[in-house]
Amino acid sequence: MRNWSILFGLAALFSVAAFLYAPFAAEWWLPNPPGELHHSVSTLGREIDFLFLIILAITGLVFIGTQVVLVWGAYKFTDQLDQQGKPVRPATYSHGNHRLEVVWTLVPAAILVFIAVYQLGTWARIKYPSRAPKVPPLAEITARQFQWVVRYPGPDGRLNSPDDLILINDLHFVKNKQALIYLKSSDVLHSFFLPYMRVKQDAVPGLTIPVWFDSDRAGSFELACAELCGWGHYKMRGKVVVHETEAEFEKWASNRLAEQNRSQLGMASGAEGY
Amino acid sequence: MITRSRFIAALGLAGLLVTSVGCTDSLNAGPLVYVDNEALTHELKGKANLAGKPALQAKVRAALARLYGDSPNQIRVPEGSGFPRGGLTLANHRQIGEGESARIEPIQALLPNGSPDPAHRQAGGFALYRRNCLHCHGVSGAGDGPTATFLFPRPRDFRKGVYKFTSTPSGAKPHRDDLTRSIRDGLLGTSMPAFDALMSPSEIEQVVDYVMFLSMRGETELALIEEGSISDEKDADALGDDIVKEIATGVFEKWKSAQSQVMNPSTPRTASDRASVLRGRDLYLGRTKEKLECAGCHGALAKGDGPSFVPVDVFNMVVFGGDPSTRQERVDALDEKLRTLWNQKPDDWGNPLRPTNLNRGVFKGGRRPIDLFWRIAKGINGAQMPAHYPTLNEAQIWDLVNFVLALEHDPDLLASVPPAPAPRLAESGSTR
Ligand code: HEC
Ligand code: HEC
Ligand SMILES: [Cu+2]
Repeated sequence: MRNWSILFGLAALFSVAAFLYAPFAAEWWLPNPPGELHHSVSTLGREIDFLFLIILAITGLVFIGTQVVLVWGAYKFTDQLDQQGKPVRPATYSHGNHRLEVVWTLVPAAILVFIAVYQLGTWARIKYPSRAPKVPPLAEITARQFQWVVRYPGPDGRLNSPDDLILINDLHFVKNKQALIYLKSSDVLHSFFLPYMRVKQDAVPGLTIPVWFDSDRAGSFELACAELCGWGHYKMRGKVVVHETEAEFEKWASNRLAEQNRSQLGMASGAEGY
Repeated sequence: MITRSRFIAALGLAGLLVTSVGCTDSLNAGPLVYVDNEALTHELKGKANLAGKPALQAKVRAALARLYGDSPNQIRVPEGSGFPRGGLTLANHRQIGEGESARIEPIQALLPNGSPDPAHRQAGGFALYRRNCLHCHGVSGAGDGPTATFLFPRPRDFRKGVYKFTSTPSGAKPHRDDLTRSIRDGLLGTSMPAFDALMSPSEIEQVVDYVMFLSMRGETELALIEEGSISDEKDADALGDDIVKEIATGVFEKWKSAQSQVMNPSTPRTASDRASVLRGRDLYLGRTKEKLECAGCHGALAKGDGPSFVPVDVFNMVVFGGDPSTRQERVDALDEKLRTLWNQKPDDWGNPLRPTNLNRGVFKGGRRPIDLFWRIAKGINGAQMPAHYPTLNEAQIWDLVNFVLALEHDPDLLASVPPAPAPRLAESGSTR
């Protein structure tokens, strides 16, 4: 039965190898911009990643330790039988060890308390409405089955006024600038998920939830729904574009607004064929 | 030893399972085929049909296969249909040339043994349609995909060739860009999704082609059934090649001619000031000499509750108040007056219809002024909303557009008008 211990050993080795490989492979690691495998684009994202790595290191070390003991024990103490089929080494039973139990309860408890206390600040910076950046809102985003309706305040800076720009699945903001959105749902639970910005927040019918994030890289990213919300859940994908400058964003917004205000076709359409 | 061989067997089984899930076609309930229009084989009250005429039914099927191909996997683009511009990559096969000399080649890569290479993604309009649209709009475009029953409004049946959100004259085929817009931006407030973030522009163009293809096929089928219903089953010449060709050409021509008939308002939108909004309100309430009926359908407060349709609660009870398959029972249980009203107001596809609540700022066909201009000027095909041009001139339509757009942010706009008794209606109509 020694083979089992070898199998367990291999499985553990494979898992550890996978974790050692992951930080060097884009598909295996956290979603980060191409070419910058270890750069998380958002400020809060970097805090979250740091916490994630601490936990990964702690659990990783514990995993390696326990696996070594497990495999070594299984290998060393495999039952051996003599000619008559009787165990060569009969098992002995001990009746608990108070000190050992106290140690293996207190050490994990201490680690847990450390993690719980250590992340409090980050949690508050991400989730407490009172910590929301004091900036005018970028947009109000309403989730519905199955799309994100993004309402930008338009030139007057006020939401729900006649000059609002309303787009579907299209979120734009500016590099290095805090973006604040108000998240709503018009039907069921959805979850607003910006994997690159490490933002995940449920959209709850009846609530308006402030969510904030930023990015220090311009480019195209992704928005997804992370709460199974019905058969069309997978369709709730959105474009996220981070503009290099405020001016570029303004230009995009005013182009889209001009399109929303379109009252005549530009060019004569209707050529031959389709 | 035994444990090891069992372990290997389990591993092998798991491997097999994973690979078999890869070949999705093997999970299909049956072969992928176009479904006959119901009227081909069934007696339908008040509609042309070929029930009990097997020879003519066979002719219709043969003609469709010749024109449009045998199945979704073997699509043909009929001669004279006006495609391409990318229109030939309709399916997993690409047609090279037109008509008799056309060659059909697979887009899909083939393995050396001739079977399709499963690693190669299916491409073209049909493959995209199958992935993104089929579960609502159905294999034949009949709006009968597996999710359709649970949706209100129901997904569009493309086979009539009638589209709601068009820029072309009332009743005409849509312009290609109208379809592109509906697919790219979705129909807000319905389950029709916006595909902008899900497909590339060229993919959207391909799927537009396929939608038009399904419409042409469906319209040809309907026209053949109509022609067949007045033909003699025993007449060998009935539905002959010439007739089929003529019918198909008629279908193509309607699509082609619509492409040059887009209405572009000659005047830009009137500035949306208070005066214009109030002029729009008078038009809406029928207080002008044109005596418009908007409020009759959309309601005095524009909540979509006008007297021309059954009250909202009755509508909700029938449509949402139980199993969709027992809807007719709920209709039958209505009193005489409501039932008559209900039966007068389905849409052209026979589905329940509701005028829009205009206070919410949610417009299926888009919120651009030009979209609303088209809706009011051209009406909404198949949905009873009438065309108002040239009854109204462009300036009046812009006033209505401004009024409709103002409603979302000014709830008192209609609430503050006292309901006008009949005599005053006529009076104010003359003092515009
Ligand atoms: C979730 C179901 C669903 C899916 C998926 C879906 N549609 Fe639709 N579609 C609808 C519904 C519902 C309507 C009709 C809404 C109405 O009548 O108000 C519609 C209407 C349409 C129309 C008609 C617009 C008009 O002017 O009348 C077109 C064209 C269309 N869909 C194309 C597509 C294409 C192409 C796809 C795939 C890329 C697709 N749809 C996917 C539900 C769906
Ligand atoms: C005979 C009834 C009827 C009349 C009269 C009518 N409508 Fe409608 N209207 C409808 C129906 C039904 C719909 C909903 C169609 C749908 O949802 O597919 C609609 C939809 C609309 C829409 C929404 C279009 C969109 O994109 O969602 C607007 C705007 C509108 N009507 C404005 C008007 C105005 C303005 C008038 C008067 C000039 C008017 N309607 C007259 C029945 C009517
Ligand atoms: Cu969702």
